[in-house]
Amino acid sequence: MNHVFTNNILAITREEARLWLRSRLALCALLIFALLLTATSIATSLRMSEEYRHRSAQQALAEETFLSQPDRHPHRMVHYGHYVFRAPPPLAMIDPGVDAVTGQSMFLEGHRQNSAMFADARASANLGGFEGLTAALVYQLFVPLLLIAIGHGLIIREREENTLAPLLAQGVTGNELYAGKWVALAGVALALLLPLAVVSAAAVAGGGSPLAGAGVIGLYALYLLVWCSLILLVSALVRSRSLSLGILALFWLACALIVPRMAVESANSAMPAPGKLETDLRMQAELRVIGDGHNAGAPQYLQLRANLLAQYDVERVEDLPVNFRGVVAEDAEAEMTEVMNRYAEERMALEARQAGFAETFGWLSPVVAVAAASRALAGTDLATHHRFLREAEAVRFDFVQGLNRVHVEQLDYVIDINRSIDTESERRTRMSAENWNVLDAFSFRPDAPGERAARAGAPLAMLFAWFLLLTAAGVHAARGLRP
Amino acid sequence: MSGLIREVRFLASDRATLLWLAIALLVACVSVVLGLREIATQRALLNELIAIDQVEREVVGELYSDWGDVAYYTFHLTYDVPSDFAFAALGRRDTSPWKHHIRALAIEGQIYETDAENPDFALIGRFDFAFAANLLAPLLLILLLHDLRSAERAAGRFELLSATAASRGSPWFARAALRVGALALCLIGPLWAGGLLAGTGASTLALASLVVVSHIAFWWGVCALVDRIGWSSPVNLTALVGAWLALAVIVPAAIKISVETAVPLPDGGDILLTQREAVNDAWDLPKSATMEPFIERHPEWADYTAVGQPFEWKWYYAFQQVGDQTVEQLSLAYRDGRVGRDRLAGTLARLAPPALAERALQAIAGTNLAASLAYEQRVREFHAALRNYYYPRLFRAEPFSNASLGQRPEFHSTSE
Repeated sequence: MNHVFTNNILAITREEARLWLRSRLALCALLIFALLLTATSIATSLRMSEEYRHRSAQQALAEETFLSQPDRHPHRMVHYGHYVFRAPPPLAMIDPGVDAVTGQSMFLEGHRQNSAMFADARASANLGGFEGLTAALVYQLFVPLLLIAIGHGLIIREREENTLAPLLAQGVTGNELYAGKWVALAGVALALLLPLAVVSAAAVAGGGSPLAGAGVIGLYALYLLVWCSLILLVSALVRSRSLSLGILALFWLACALIVPRMAVESANSAMPAPGKLETDLRMQAELRVIGDGHNAGAPQYLQLRANLLAQYDVERVEDLPVNFRGVVAEDAEAEMTEVMNRYAEERMALEARQAGFAETFGWLSPVVAVAAASRALAGTDLATHHRFLREAEAVRFDFVQGLNRVHVEQLDYVIDINRSIDTESERRTRMSAENWNVLDAFSFRPDAPGERAARAGAPLAMLFAWFLLLTAAGVHAARGLRP
Repeated sequence: MSGLIREVRFLASDRATLLWLAIALLVACVSVVLGLREIATQRALLNELIAIDQVEREVVGELYSDWGDVAYYTFHLTYDVPSDFAFAALGRRDTSPWKHHIRALAIEGQIYETDAENPDFALIGRFDFAFAANLLAPLLLILLLHDLRSAERAAGRFELLSATAASRGSPWFARAALRVGALALCLIGPLWAGGLLAGTGASTLALASLVVVSHIAFWWGVCALVDRIGWSSPVNLTALVGAWLALAVIVPAAIKISVETAVPLPDGGDILLTQREAVNDAWDLPKSATMEPFIERHPEWADYTAVGQPFEWKWYYAFQQVGDQTVEQLSLAYRDGRVGRDRLAGTLARLAPPALAERALQAIAGTNLAASLAYEQRVREFHAALRNYYYPRLFRAEPFSNASLGQRPEFHSTSE
């Protein structure tokens, strides 16, 4: 790069920094944002690390409670059930994502897939829509406002103060002017990333992936640079500060407030997704065909009975080497799970398609793009929540079928069918508590960083496109800069 | 009068002003249409679910002929029908449950189930009228008013205009009032149109309009204060957007944190864990351990508590009830905590007018926490009625009959 060119740029950058430092308004705004970012970063990090500790402890307690249950009929343990908790990933300290709106705990039991319960959003106070402020939201929505406030007049100022003509006459080119101002504004933007970088480092130290941690910083850097380029483009094109500020304010209003919600509304109407209750109701008829696994005498199991009798070459169910009631329970659970999983997968696929549809609005608003990429990288997006639902279901199915296996293999059929005669008969159906170790320990981890980065790929590409387009347009506008 | 006509002519030729007003009108119209559509979808879904639920219950009624089985396998749909003003403020209907599928087992295990929509969307929020009026409109007003004086000052006409006016300040007042009035009309017009389509009562619409106008008036006051200082237009705009940021975002966020610190809430998960333990422990305890606490609540069944078999349905439902009794305190604390948080938030919201206006619109629309809790209470009452229906049949071992099944309570929404 040409030496003079670089020197000119640096001189312009230095001059801009000097002016900001002398402007009480700019300093004041910067200070307020520095405080806001620090405060929300600290608040979000503390809250999410506390949540992590709390939910991990609850998970350990739930497992301990399950394993310490006394001797029982194995099917009682199927209904006793188990809890899983979704501990937030380390990078949730930056972007808690869907954590507040999805429940974090789920009750697992036989014959049912429950939904996650007790979302924070349901127990928190209503204060107009932005009360759940997180560090990520401040970066996504409000830091651009600061950049607009201090940057909207960067090039116009030279024009309004009649310094543009002398500058150009001295041999400073339009591009040098643009580059100098851009470096100055980008410098402020990058300096504002300091709290994010600190929290990111803390998250990585706490077990987060260094790749994802660096990715989040890079993502927000790119995002803020998109705004820098946009602001300079408008500042280079427009001839009055007021107009420039008006245009940028309108753009912000549309990008930050209107487009994200319009994305939600469009996705909802383009592909309406049924709620869980609706799905459950529709599923009932299909589940009834499978039959009630508690009732081994139901007509649905006559074939199963005949097959088993033939397989073991015996006449009566009592003579089978396995407990027929257990076999029915196991069989019904497997079939029901297949149906429930099919409906659940359909629902998740539809939700994912909705989210994908909404994500394409990133072409209209960089806010939508950065939010989607941020949640994906942090491991707090919809896909991660679905992963939690699938893993929880795997845990549920495994322990229920593990218990049914105990029912099939260890509990004698005759003892089992006579369980309701008297207390002593009931006592004989109780299986040793050692069998409860069919339960696997659950510890929720988000996807590998590579997969998360892949999910962030599309919105990142949108941001790159925004950046290249706006910067190219800005450079072009600056080249033709006339006093 | 001629001054007013002059101002109207001036406004009509002010392209920036017309642009902001057009945006306000567009945003309000879109929000009302989307809100109406959402509520229509919710109503249609409810009607569909009610029909499926009815069929479902008839099918189950034919499958079983034992009161215990029927009570165990029959689910009942409960729901909260949206009000005729819910289209304007969807409020908590986005995150809190407004429909349940419940049966005669322990209610505490069922009432917290939430039939949530796509979490990605719940996170972002809906584009309803309340959002347009409370968060967008103040910004549009700021854009309209921030340079009333400063633009004239910059153009060098300020002194002339002030001097030729009949009384000092009046041209600015008329000019601002015209813009504020036009903005308010842009918001309230679509609201009333939507209200007419939704069948909203005039008093409800008038009250909501009052909220919107008061909120706009507050921001007018803020703009007037800042404009009076005599900064340049860009500084005015920056300061006003800063004020919006403070009052719409930062103060509400701070209030939320302080409310949640000041009013602790029992962990919801604890309610479920405790309830589950109580219900499951009953299997391993002597039957009297269930029946004694049960008849404390239902002394009328004291003569029917003998349980001879290892399993009897009346004992099964009795320990479901005892499970609920065990967590009653915790459950009440959870409800009271939510009420307490809401009340404190309501008090502190006076510090943040956008939050206050949002809460007011949600209250009018019946989409706030109080409405959500009232629905929860209706579900609990219906569940209690179900129990009261089954208990005599289970405890007196009445024979199953379809005629008797016909007397089973049905859930009815209050607004029907």
